[in-house]
Amino acid sequence: MSHLRASTFPEAAVRARARTGAPAAFADSEEYGRALFGQTPADNGRLTDWLEDLRLVPPVFVPHRLDKLIELGREPTFRDVDLSTTIGGFRSALPLYLSAFGSTKVASVDLGLAASRQAGWLGIPMVVGENVLRVNGFGRDEEDAEGSMLARIRAYADGALDGYGGVVVQQSTEDADAEVWNLVYSDPNAHHLLETGRLAFELKVGQGAKPGLGGMTLLDPVSAARLADSYTMVPVGAASAVDGAAGYELLDDGGGSAADGVGGQRAAQPDRTVLRCCSPGTFTEEILRQQVRLMRNNFPRARIWVKLPPSRDVRAAAVVAWQAGADAVTVDGAEGGTGWAPTAFLEHVGLPLGECLRRIGAPEGCLLVSGRMWEGSRVTKSLALGASAAGLGRAALIAVDADPMCGLVNLVECLALELRMLFSALGKYCVAALSGEDVWSPDGGFEPR
Amino acid sequence: MTQLSAVPTREPATPGSTREHLSSPVTSAVLTIQSRMLAATRSFLSQHGFTEVLLPILGPVTDPGARGAKQVDIDYYGHRYKLMTSAILYKQASLTMFDKIYCIAPNVRLEPLDTTVTSRHLAEFHQIDVEMAGASRDQVMRLVEDLVGYVTTKVLADVAEEFERLGRDIQTLAQLSAGPFGRRTHTDAVATLRELGHPQNPDGEIDWAGEAMLSRLESRPFFVTDYPKGSRGFYDRENPQRPGFLRNFDLIAAEGYGELCSGSEREHDYAAIIARMRETGENPAKYAWYLEMVREGIPASAGFGIGVERLTRYIAGLDAVWQACAYPKIPGVVAP
Repeated sequence: MSHLRASTFPEAAVRARARTGAPAAFADSEEYGRALFGQTPADNGRLTDWLEDLRLVPPVFVPHRLDKLIELGREPTFRDVDLSTTIGGFRSALPLYLSAFGSTKVASVDLGLAASRQAGWLGIPMVVGENVLRVNGFGRDEEDAEGSMLARIRAYADGALDGYGGVVVQQSTEDADAEVWNLVYSDPNAHHLLETGRLAFELKVGQGAKPGLGGMTLLDPVSAARLADSYTMVPVGAASAVDGAAGYELLDDGGGSAADGVGGQRAAQPDRTVLRCCSPGTFTEEILRQQVRLMRNNFPRARIWVKLPPSRDVRAAAVVAWQAGADAVTVDGAEGGTGWAPTAFLEHVGLPLGECLRRIGAPEGCLLVSGRMWEGSRVTKSLALGASAAGLGRAALIAVDADPMCGLVNLVECLALELRMLFSALGKYCVAALSGEDVWSPDGGFEPR
Repeated sequence: MTQLSAVPTREPATPGSTREHLSSPVTSAVLTIQSRMLAATRSFLSQHGFTEVLLPILGPVTDPGARGAKQVDIDYYGHRYKLMTSAILYKQASLTMFDKIYCIAPNVRLEPLDTTVTSRHLAEFHQIDVEMAGASRDQVMRLVEDLVGYVTTKVLADVAEEFERLGRDIQTLAQLSAGPFGRRTHTDAVATLRELGHPQNPDGEIDWAGEAMLSRLESRPFFVTDYPKGSRGFYDRENPQRPGFLRNFDLIAAEGYGELCSGSEREHDYAAIIARMRETGENPAKYAWYLEMVREGIPASAGFGIGVERLTRYIAGLDAVWQACAYPKIPGVVAP
C-alpha cells in the first residue's frame, strides 16, 4: 500500500478494481447467495425515481364514495375497498403478483418454494423465472425434482386459492433451445392449470436490473461445464501472479481475442467461479410483433405476457406487444431485480419506473410494473398512473427469508391494509377507479389523465 | 363381401390391445390401402423425376414450426440431439445434391394433450416430403393435386375390395382426380369462419375446430393459401409483394377430415432466414450447420409434406387417424 490518497475521487472503488480486476464490476461475490442486489438509494435516502416524488392527493369531493354509500346503505370504510382484479387474463385476489426470481442462488429451492406456496394461498399470479428449467431442471425425474420448475408450480398449485391466480412461465432467447413453453404446455403436470385457464407464458425481452444484458448467474465450474453448450461462460476470478502476465479479463469480450485465452486458462482451474451470461436477444418491432403472434398461435390456451426492460423506447415496445395480442406487458423499472448484475448497470442504466410510466401514458392494454415494490404507496401511485398490478420480487424473498412459513402472507396482509386505506382516502373502492387525478407531481411533470 | 365397421361410434375410439389392433380386419384393410398408396406415390414421383433420399431421423436441430408440440431430445454421445419433427432443413440442404427430392419420413412431435381428442393427431407419424429446386408455389400445388389424384385413382383400381369392406363411399374419392382443387386465401377463410360465428384469430393458424368447419362445407379437398407470418416456421417464404403474409398453402380434405398437407415456397436468403428465426423466437446459434449451408447458398425451392396417416384416413374414410397406423401413438397415451 502506498501513501497516495485521492479523497475527492472514488479511491476505494479504484483500489478494489486494481486488486481484484473484473470481479469488481460486481458486488462482492462473497455476498452471492446471501444478498439481494439492486440499485442503491441516493445519499439522502431518497430514490432518484420520480415515482417517489409524487404524492397521493385525496380530494374533498368523492363521487365514488357516494356510489359506494348508496350500494351499502351506510358510510363506507377502507374495509369496503375491493382489491380483487384481473391481471393478464387471470383473476387475482389483489393487484399484486410474485415476480420472477430467476435461478440465482438466493432464490434457489427453499425460498423459491416458500414464496410460490404463499403466492398460491394469496390467490395472486406467480411468474417462474426464465432459466429455472435450464439451471434447476424441470422436475419430472426424481434427481432434479427439488428446486425445479415443476416443484415451484406444484408448491403454488397445491394450496392455491380456488379460481384465483395463475402460473406464468418465462422464456428468453437461449431458453428457446430448451423449449420451456412447449415442455410445460404438453406436460400432464401442468394440464390442470391449462384446463382452468391459469397458465401463461412470458416472453422476456429484458429486465430492470440490467437493461440491454441477458440474465446472469455465478456458477461453480462443474455446473458451468454442464451448461457450456448453451450459454456464454466467463471465468471471473481475479488476475494474479498465478495467472501469468496476460492478466486482463474483459467481461464484454466476445470476439475471440486474447481474453478468450485467459478465460480458457481460468476455466481450466477447478476453483474458479464462472459467470453464466444469457444473450438479451435481438428485437425489432417486427420481431417482437411476430414472436407474440407466434406464441398466441402455438399456445392458444395459454395467456401471453411480455416483460420489457426500462428502455427508452418502452412505450413503442409495449404498444407493439399489446397490438400483437399480448394479455399483459410487464415493465421492470431500473430499481428492480433480485439477481446478479454489474454495478454500473444497477446504478446508471435504464429508466426509473416512474419515467417508464410517464412515457407509456395511458396503456392500451394490461400494464404490470415491478421495481422496489413492498409497501402500499408506491403500488397505489403505479396503479393511479395506469398499471393494473405490481410485482413483488426482492420484498417477497426477504419476507420468506424472515418467516418461511408465512412471511409473504404477512407482508401482503400489511400491504393490502395500506392499499385499502390509501384507496379509500382517495375516495376510490376498486383498482379500476384509480387514475392520474390521484397523484400530484411537484415538478408538474405529470398531466393527469 | 362382409362390410366392416371402421366407424364404430361418433366418439373417438381408442385402440384396443396391440394384438387386437393388429389382427383387426379393419387394420388389415386400411394398411393394405396405405401400402398401395405409398407404392403409387413412389411410382408417381419417380415418373416425375424425383429422387428418393433417405433423410436423417435425428440431428442437432429440427423443424421448430409445430404448433405447441414438444421436440424429443436424445443424448447423442453427450450432445443433445432431436428426433425430427419434420425433414424440412434436410430437404432444403439436399437440393444441393438433386433438384427434385422426396422421402417418406418418420416424424415425432409430442403434441399438446388437447390434441388427444382431435381424431387426427399422432405423436409419431409419417410424411410424404417433397422439395423441388426453382419451383413456385403454383407448381408444387399442381404437383400436390396430380399426386393425390393419381394415388387415389390407383388405389381405387388396385384394391377396390378393401374400400368395399370398409364401406367407404368411393364416388366422392373418384372425383379427386377430376381437375384442380379449390383455392381460397387465409384472409377469406377467416372471414367465412367469423361469419359462421367461429372466433378465428386472424393472425394465426386456422384452429382445429375452424379447419373442421371449413372442411365440412366442401365436397372436394381445397387449398388455403397466404397464411400470416406469425403462424408458421421461419422457412416459409414471406411474400415480397404482401409483407406479413407467406407464399404457402395447406391442403384441407373435404367431409370434415381437416388438414392433409402443408407446403410453401422457401426462404433461402441468409439474412432473411436469420431475421425470420428471430421473429419465430428461435436462437440462430443452434442452427449452425443449416445456416452455414444457407450462407454458402442453397437453391430457391418450394415443397410440401403430406401426412401419410391423415391421407390414409381420408381416403379410407376412417373415424380417427390412429386407425391408419399399425402402432399408433396417440398424444399423451402410453403405447408400444
